[in-house]
Amino acid sequence: MASWGEASQSRLIGKRITRLSGKDKVTGKAKYTYDINRPGMLYARILRSEVARAEVIALDLTPAEELPGVKAVIELTQVGNQLRYQGQEIAAVAAETDDIAKDALRLIHVELEELPFVVTEDDALAEGAPEIRDWTGNKSDPNVDERGDLEAGFEEAAVIVEAKYHTPVQTHVCLETHGNVAEWRGEEYLTFWASTQAVFGVRNDLARTFDLPANQVRVITEHMGGGFGSKFGPGVEGHTAARLSKMTGKPVKLMLTRRAEHLVAGNRPSMTQHVKAGATSDGRLIAYDMQGYGTGGIGSGAGFTGPYVYSVENSRTERFNVATNAGNQRAMRAPGHPQGAFAMDSLMDELAEKLGMNPLEFRRLNDSSEVRQAQYTLGAQEIGWHKRNTVPGSGTGIKKRGLGVGSGQWGGGGGRGTQARVTINADGTVEAVTGTQDIGTGVRTAIAIIVAEELGLQPTDISVTVGDSEPGLPSGGSGGSQTTPSVAPVIKTAAEAAKQKLFEHVAPLLQAPVDDLRVGIGTIYVASDRTKTVTWKQATGQLGMESISEGGNWDEDLRQGGVAGTQFAEVEVDTQTGHVGVIKIVAVQDCGLAINRLATESQINGGVIMGLGQTLLEERIMDPQTGRMLNANLEDYKVPGTYEIPEIKAIVFDTHRKVSGVGEPPCIPTLGAIANAVYNAIGVRIRELPITPDKVLTALAEKKA
Amino acid sequence: MDNFSYVNATDLEQVTSLLSDSGWGEVMVVAGGTDLLGELKEYIETPKTLINLKSLPGMDSISMNTTGITIGALTTVADIANHPTIQQRYTVLAQAASSVATPQIRNVGTLGGNLCQRPRCWYYRDETVNCLKKGGDTCYAVDGLSKYHAILGGDPVFIVHPSDIAPALIALGASLKIVGPEGEKTMKVEEFFTLPAANPFRENVLQPNEIVVEVHVPQPKQGTKSFYLKAREKGAPDFALASVAGVFEMMGQTCQNANIVLGGVAPAPWRSTEAENILSGKVINESVSNNAGAAAVKDAQPLNDNAYKVTLTQNLISRTAMMAVS
Amino acid sequence: MSDKEKKQGTEISRRSFIKGVGTGTVAATVVPTILVGDQNTAEAQTDEATSTAVIQLNINGKVHEIEVESRTTLLTVLRDGIDTNGNNVDLTGAKLICDKGECGGCTILADDKPVYACMMLAMDAQGKQITTVEGIADGDDLHPVQEAFIKHDAMMCGFCTPGFVVSSVALLNENKKPTLEEIKDGLSGNTCRCGTYPFIFDAVETASEKM
Repeated sequence: MASWGEASQSRLIGKRITRLSGKDKVTGKAKYTYDINRPGMLYARILRSEVARAEVIALDLTPAEELPGVKAVIELTQVGNQLRYQGQEIAAVAAETDDIAKDALRLIHVELEELPFVVTEDDALAEGAPEIRDWTGNKSDPNVDERGDLEAGFEEAAVIVEAKYHTPVQTHVCLETHGNVAEWRGEEYLTFWASTQAVFGVRNDLARTFDLPANQVRVITEHMGGGFGSKFGPGVEGHTAARLSKMTGKPVKLMLTRRAEHLVAGNRPSMTQHVKAGATSDGRLIAYDMQGYGTGGIGSGAGFTGPYVYSVENSRTERFNVATNAGNQRAMRAPGHPQGAFAMDSLMDELAEKLGMNPLEFRRLNDSSEVRQAQYTLGAQEIGWHKRNTVPGSGTGIKKRGLGVGSGQWGGGGGRGTQARVTINADGTVEAVTGTQDIGTGVRTAIAIIVAEELGLQPTDISVTVGDSEPGLPSGGSGGSQTTPSVAPVIKTAAEAAKQKLFEHVAPLLQAPVDDLRVGIGTIYVASDRTKTVTWKQATGQLGMESISEGGNWDEDLRQGGVAGTQFAEVEVDTQTGHVGVIKIVAVQDCGLAINRLATESQINGGVIMGLGQTLLEERIMDPQTGRMLNANLEDYKVPGTYEIPEIKAIVFDTHRKVSGVGEPPCIPTLGAIANAVYNAIGVRIRELPITPDKVLTALAEKKA
Repeated sequence: MDNFSYVNATDLEQVTSLLSDSGWGEVMVVAGGTDLLGELKEYIETPKTLINLKSLPGMDSISMNTTGITIGALTTVADIANHPTIQQRYTVLAQAASSVATPQIRNVGTLGGNLCQRPRCWYYRDETVNCLKKGGDTCYAVDGLSKYHAILGGDPVFIVHPSDIAPALIALGASLKIVGPEGEKTMKVEEFFTLPAANPFRENVLQPNEIVVEVHVPQPKQGTKSFYLKAREKGAPDFALASVAGVFEMMGQTCQNANIVLGGVAPAPWRSTEAENILSGKVINESVSNNAGAAAVKDAQPLNDNAYKVTLTQNLISRTAMMAVS
Repeated sequence: MSDKEKKQGTEISRRSFIKGVGTGTVAATVVPTILVGDQNTAEAQTDEATSTAVIQLNINGKVHEIEVESRTTLLTVLRDGIDTNGNNVDLTGAKLICDKGECGGCTILADDKPVYACMMLAMDAQGKQITTVEGIADGDDLHPVQEAFIKHDAMMCGFCTPGFVVSSVALLNENKKPTLEEIKDGLSGNTCRCGTYPFIFDAVETASEKM
């Protein structure tokens, strides 16, 4: 059975190792899709609807076509079509400069007849609302799930809590907006720089769309500036860039504006839950009844979890989706989980309080995960759980502190579908190639660590190629925290195979059988006689004119899915201004075998901070009057900045020696932990995110009254 | 943004003559540009000509004498925030300046630009929404989403004035100098700003052919304490949900005179004589501070989403006053 | 001409649209036609002596001669500019992220002070020493801030990293030993979405010890 070996034997794996792309990133040399400048390249832009719903009455591209510097103008909709959300594409322009493209968009003549719209869930569900798609009352058929005997459960319950929890739509805010550079060679070959999480997914999509053999499309993503689940396909903008490039015979760059990024490039759907839940006097969660809905925009669902993490025997859940005239949702970092966790962790605290029980004890009684049980103990110690207010809101002074806890669960076990190649050259250089992409998690470095560990080299000795379809070594998209667990087994087995081949070449030189050879640090030696040793270069010198190039294979035993996480938060609420400051987060995150502890800590920090943003700041604000998103920018759509950052204690809770992904799970428990800490501080519960000063002050005023 | 002719200013006469016939919008002046470029990029303004004021000599300095300090309109916000004398003696002004936006904006944005910046209202800043302020018929904040809008002095336009520096200057009793085709005139900063009832399209009395050239701040009396408190959702670069500039002439625990000016709650910096009257001549304690806060918002008329600002403003005033005795 | 008059001249179509939106969300909306684009924006921009110019910019110690429009931002020149010899400036380290001075991705130094290149007109950059992230290192010798960013893994996707590096250098030039609060203040004009902040703070602390 393949294994990663004992921790004590690992020289590199599990250590803190700086990333290979570090120097390029700190010097500005790293080239992202947005940075690609090709000779003769044109700049493209898309004209979008600024209204929520309208019919296209007239569309005349001529004035734009006539502007000097404009090379192509195309329709992306047609007269008679219905535009169904703000941001929907109308036409596109390619021009010699970006400013000319902008000017040209404004010359396109468009007449729209506005139609009745709904942009909020409340409006969509209101009686008499215009039906904006093929769902009665703008509601999808409900998804119902029943377990056990709910009625009996409630009868057994000593306490019952009924509450409504809400989280608004959050947008991904990838700093590098979605976009691509397309360059055709004749009509047969398309090179496509893409800001994507799925190099091969984009390649296959383009090949289908443009009716090309897959091997005549090359997709390149050397570096990419954030995706968080929103960048799996080429999208309208990608197809448009390729069309414009084909038409003009020139390279075309088409990157979304910040405004469009908010409007059309995906979002985390909203969630509203009406929950009734009961617990027995000895602290067992016994009944859970939930009706919930959310909006994923005009055409998508709005899934979320519930009940979550904690066991409940008797439950009934009913979920439906609400259609609104707004851009569609896309997967966003642990889809469905953070919002579900917020509701569940809030509910758990409300039940515990009614029972007169410590919320942590109540969780322990209802959590079947042994990993989380251990994490509760560790996290409680780190945060100083004893400091919490036994009576919520009982602290004195203007600024009140409180503690809270939240939990999460994720898969992240990886899967088949990656091919990789490890090459050892006669001059001692080593190459590792696979078609995955590094979206910021550091998989490029993880690959180097694995290969270097196997071959007795340093990570910087390994030249790693990812983010390119040209070598023809496919890998899956970077979603579901699957990248490292999918890639690591294949890379490891490829490196092992290459090592074996090298041993075969070296065995005669060392006059020892192949299975008696081992790698040292930059050496190969004979295990039974350590005086017999050659340097790495001497060894590879045996290859002569040859290179060793070996593939790897998927190995179930090297990875494992299912990671548990727990977070504790300490907050300080200014009761005069309503401002919530997070003082500290302790994040205990199960992650299996951390290939690179430094990058794993980075991922945990990042998840916590994104969760913090969702809890305290972020909200897509749709205006029922005008149908506009009012904060499609970075001024009023607020993501965490330096002042929002608490002390974060990221605890890499590596419970086993198999690789799991950790990109998504750390953003899940943060919401409940902070929300519960706010309650513990001020004694008023805020059940609607984000917890902004207006809500805190209003809640405090209601408490007083 | 649309292209424009760019003219480097050589002297004030040239500037006012270039401006004189154009009305608003055709010819505009720019200094740091941190606000104006945002408007141009969103096509809120589409001037044919921009006059670059940064090339005017001698307007970016801070000078001091026994009567107070004089700050040129082209002085950057950072230079105000970092000036040792301003930090020591005109504390409220330094604090207000250092609370502006971000280091990058403070390095470029100027005093004149900060006073003349346009509102951040999300309806106003959306090119495709023709709100009352842009010549339309409706202030959309009235029936729409109004979390960041005015609770005082709003009718008929419910924007808030975004400046942090203006409330501080008014609380310090500052005056400013305006130059136009007929020469220069001086007025209190307080009188510079106007409410939408007087003119829904502008936030101050400046005419299309006038520019602000300098600000004079009288030296605060001995024993003066001053503070700027700003409440925001996000640490930076947020504009104020509400802010308070408080200047207190103290004798022990007694406040002989208080100036209280609010930011972020009205279409102009809002001087609260109600709060000042309660504080002036009193020993400051919790109850007096709370009363001052309550008096300031007595006539507040919140919209759908901003009633919290009433409480917030009240609390901030009370906190500011208590700082004078702590 | 008053604001109202001026606006009436150009925006009738849009206004008539917005009137028709009504106040209720689901009100039966009867709206005449509206125009999304259709502004005569391109007309006024040609043939005026000062609307384009050949300027010289000193970037990272090298002088670039380049033809720009008045509206061209410094960021556009750095990223997309082509000099009068036909060479791409190609300094793409400064990123275009928000394009409105809200995120810090395009932070550069102008005479040693950090500013947003997206909010500075190229013409205004004349006569200034412009330093981009590409000019922070001394040849192959990385700046202590850059070394520390690598050491602490103060980057994930890395798209915000150039802006943070430049802001950090500027901060440490002004304040050799900043406290954590001063670091947060100095970097408050930069945004990271991956959530790299804690390691950025560590990196700046480490760099401050080496400067």
